[in-house]
Amino acid sequence: MTFALATPRALPDLRRMWADAPGFTGLALLLILALVPLYAAMVLDARIFQGESPWQKPVKFHVALGIYMATLAFFARYLPEPIRASGSWRIFAAAVMLAVLGEVGWLSAAAMQNTASHFNTEIPAFIAVYPIMGVLAVLLTSASLVMGIAIWRNPGTGLDPALRLSIALGLILTFGATVIVAGYLSANEGHFVGASTRQMALMGWSRDAGDLRVAHFLATHALHTLPLVGLLAIQLSPARATLTVMLAAAGYATLIAGTFVQALNGQPFLPFLG
Amino acid sequence: MTPDALFQLTGPLAMLGWLALALSPLAPRVADAVAALAIPTLLSVAYVALILVHWSDAPGGFGSLAEAMALFTDPAVALAGWVHYLAFDLFVGAWIVRTAKTERIPHLLILPCLALTFLFGPAGFLAFTALRATYAARARMTVAAA
Repeated sequence: MTFALATPRALPDLRRMWADAPGFTGLALLLILALVPLYAAMVLDARIFQGESPWQKPVKFHVALGIYMATLAFFARYLPEPIRASGSWRIFAAAVMLAVLGEVGWLSAAAMQNTASHFNTEIPAFIAVYPIMGVLAVLLTSASLVMGIAIWRNPGTGLDPALRLSIALGLILTFGATVIVAGYLSANEGHFVGASTRQMALMGWSRDAGDLRVAHFLATHALHTLPLVGLLAIQLSPARATLTVMLAAAGYATLIAGTFVQALNGQPFLPFLG
Repeated sequence: MTPDALFQLTGPLAMLGWLALALSPLAPRVADAVAALAIPTLLSVAYVALILVHWSDAPGGFGSLAEAMALFTDPAVALAGWVHYLAFDLFVGAWIVRTAKTERIPHLLILPCLALTFLFGPAGFLAFTALRATYAARARMTVAAA
């Protein structure tokens, strides 16, 4: 099975996700299926919140968390079997899933009332739950740290060592960088630094102000980027694959730090884009 | 989309489901997929979307008849209530057809029950329950006699 990932001719078996991480896999599917009523609500809702439909944000988080859960479910095959079968892993996974459900429930509750989820300064209930949502966000992100360390220390994945390193580093960097960037972002007054008048298509990133969501996006996708680099490295330069992965991890961390500092200085990411 | 425009869409959609149920002996599996799954799911998506968008501003509540009546003074919430009727009545209609088939109750006898369920929901359910009880009694007595 693990041999399949190292061979570009054969795609890895996605059905294994149901056996390796049934909860994460099912939750990923449910988050994506919930897009149907969310998009229907967007069509029916004539209200505008901060220049866009109030449902834009729940939709983005359903997509993002759906991809995150599916990715963790995929990587779960590289966890040592005793961990996957243990009661403490199941309890942790259940807590992570409850945190994800708490986050999306909170976002839709805010959209129903056409109010802010993050950075709400008006409705007492939303102000009160904000710190709890921060704890849940760290809890759900910590799943990538736990899995990253467990895969790092698992000699029995059957993967090329460089590829295994890239998966472990990607997962660990996702946790470390996301907690720093998103932690700062959530304590800020909003995601823009400076006044934003123009935004990129699709991502909605500012083209004339700093936007802390750029670094958040890059940080959160380390768990995709670095394993892809690892996959390419073991194909193209097997002899130097480990070095390539380590350099890529350092480079990617620098890129996250760079876009973070750029946003803090009130500068747009790539103003010519969009 | 305005509540009026959505109302215009939901009626014919539900009618399609009832038509499928009435003609179900011709294609039982298709009729069941349409009337028990596809159309109730579509209507439920519309219902959930209406509630997500309009519930927080809705007047009234569930505490008293006056509150429940106040709820229905909001056009979007009244439409959601209407869609709720359409979806669940159709679902019950599909269940009647399925149950009648397994219990070998002739489709011709089911048709009036379906019409009643379509027009007056619970009245149709009551009629079918009575019909079912009659068939069950007949079956028991026939077995006892034999």
